[in-house]
Amino acid sequence: MAEMTYLEAISDALRTEMRRDESVFCLGEDIGALGGAFKATDGFAEEFGADRVLDMPLAETAILGTATGAAIEGMRPVCEMQFADFIACGFDQLVNVAAKLHYRQGVAVPIVVRLPSGGGFSGGPFHSQNPEAWFLQTPGLKVVTPATAEDAKGLLASAIRDPNPVCFLEHKGLYRHVRGEVPEGEHTVPIGRARVAREGSEMTAIAYGSSVHLALEAAEQLDEDIEVIDLRSLCPLDREAILDSARKMGKVLIAHEATRSCGAGAEVAALIGEEAFEDLDAPVRRLTTPDVPIPFSPPLEQAVLPQLDDMKEACRELLAY
Amino acid sequence: MSSSRTEASIVEVSMPQMGVSVAEGTIVEWRKRPGEWVEADEPICDVSTDKIDVEIPSPASGRLERILVEPGETVAVGTVLAELDTGAEAGEAQAEEPRPEGQDAEPAAPEVDRSRLYSPVVRRIAEEEGVDLEQVEGGGVGGRVRKVDLMAFLENGGGAKEEPEERPLHTESPYRPEAQPVGSAEDLTGPTRREQMSPMRAQIARHMLDSRRTSAHCTTIVEVDFSRVARQREELRESMARRGVNLTYLAFVAREAVAALERHPAFNASIEGEEIVYHDQVNLGIAVALENGLIVPVIRQAQQLSLEGLAAAIGDLAARAREKRLNPDDVQGGTFTITNPGQFGAVLATPIINQPQVAILDLEAIVKRAVVVGSDGDDSIAIRPMSYLCMSWDHRALDGAEAARFLAGMKETLEEGGSE
Repeated sequence: MAEMTYLEAISDALRTEMRRDESVFCLGEDIGALGGAFKATDGFAEEFGADRVLDMPLAETAILGTATGAAIEGMRPVCEMQFADFIACGFDQLVNVAAKLHYRQGVAVPIVVRLPSGGGFSGGPFHSQNPEAWFLQTPGLKVVTPATAEDAKGLLASAIRDPNPVCFLEHKGLYRHVRGEVPEGEHTVPIGRARVAREGSEMTAIAYGSSVHLALEAAEQLDEDIEVIDLRSLCPLDREAILDSARKMGKVLIAHEATRSCGAGAEVAALIGEEAFEDLDAPVRRLTTPDVPIPFSPPLEQAVLPQLDDMKEACRELLAY
Repeated sequence: MSSSRTEASIVEVSMPQMGVSVAEGTIVEWRKRPGEWVEADEPICDVSTDKIDVEIPSPASGRLERILVEPGETVAVGTVLAELDTGAEAGEAQAEEPRPEGQDAEPAAPEVDRSRLYSPVVRRIAEEEGVDLEQVEGGGVGGRVRKVDLMAFLENGGGAKEEPEERPLHTESPYRPEAQPVGSAEDLTGPTRREQMSPMRAQIARHMLDSRRTSAHCTTIVEVDFSRVARQREELRESMARRGVNLTYLAFVAREAVAALERHPAFNASIEGEEIVYHDQVNLGIAVALENGLIVPVIRQAQQLSLEGLAAAIGDLAARAREKRLNPDDVQGGTFTITNPGQFGAVLATPIINQPQVAILDLEAIVKRAVVVGSDGDDSIAIRPMSYLCMSWDHRALDGAEAARFLAGMKETLEEGGSE
């Protein structure tokens, strides 16, 4: 085991998989000479050469189209979107081409799209989004959202080895703030399996990404029997883990930084309503960003993004219900 | 209607003072639900007193915020029954509870009672464990019974699981109780339906039984020929009708009863303990049948009224009684009562005295009968409109001879066409 930040764990997974499998290569904007906007591929060009660490033009559609073509030819490309927000430019290649090739022609498209997401640093509306729900509506894509360094490494490795296109959402706020013990060498975490981050008995907070840490912190500060489930994968969802916890607790709060309407939380809430109604002791509640773009202004941004106090209040209300 | 402002826009709806002797009232029904809009003077609820049923008008226009006294509860005059928010927009209704959202926590709104709203899991566990949820104290918002409350209740021995029976001190006796019949009485009765007595019904039940226990009831009956009354009624009816007065046989009987009471003051009296209280004025109670009960409004100072005055008063009280527009003072202070169920064709009855009075007069149906008329030696049989006057009187205060004289006097004046 080695202690790493979330960002170091991502680099470690990439490096490990590139060493392990020659068909794995990276492509993105400024990822070679510069080592990436967030330095995830720092030193990669030196180790693996410019052929496996491709600096691409500012054209996301070219990045995703190239990756899709290479994957069809047997490669395992890992695309970096400089910011998750920018994937909108390459949308067609991902949702219409890569996601559907298996269904149309039986062709596997094993690509990974790394999506640095999330706000909290005054990045404004184009650099702060959590666009995971866009992809949850596209059959053929997998979507993972690690919250810890260990899962960042394990899920990225699994995503690279997966035969499907996988959207890998890495929250920028976690890059250097979250650190933890990470297994050295090869390490995978199965896609589609949630994790009980904290055991409890009175209510469950179901979260992913940065919200997992908010939930854990709130549970500690409130000193209540709050269970925290870290979903880790949004597609496929770990239905069993969600329903298990919902049935045991009867009270469910779903938390994510992404906007509210038709977000991942809505899907989880619907699942619980459909499958665990008889065990509910309270309405399923959501703590999310309201349906607005993320503002530049720090006080405004704070006001829209779920904060620790919001999480504590939501938990208190549900416990009291 | 009393109302007072507690906050800027909150107006209280109070139990009004309905007549001098009414101290409390029972809520029968709320016509508005919390959140609904009510206009000023629009009936907001129905209240039953020990005298009458009344509608309570809203003291102001506004939204009904809270109901503080539920149907069936009896509270003193002046008690706040509900609160109106007059600051609400005209016509604006509001959902009973703001939709809860985890993120945008509303500032503490007045807490709504949710103690009888159960979540699916609480219902399921209660059913499995045989728990009567009304026995479980809720610790959640608005008194909700949460799963944790129910689990704690079960842990503390709640629920249907029976306590282990105590071991008997003696060995079993050979005595066996008699076998019970297999079916209950209800099985033999057949299907039934149960209904709570209305406040009025319960009130009548109490009063009648009290009277039966209090007075020594006796009933004396005379037969009266109404031929002359009928003729006089025909003569007067049209002109009174033009003045809006319906001249009934009851009005004639009322007038002769008042005259008889003035001749026999012992009947215009009441008993208090061992004293007999004689009343100077005749306050004549007239029993009015309602859809589901009976009420006795009073004609005050009836001795001062003419035949037409009595007829008008009877018509007015009966109409107001049926429209529930009586004031509680209208039904108090009676000194003698007349009841008149004869309109349905009955010919004899033994009425129950309206306490604390000492007598009640019953006018039954006026029907044509063959009767012997004329004087000795010149007898014949004639067809005459006849009726019985039945008077129940309290043998504690009076004796049979007085009752007979009272009724004989009435018979005489009625048959001679009235004492006017």
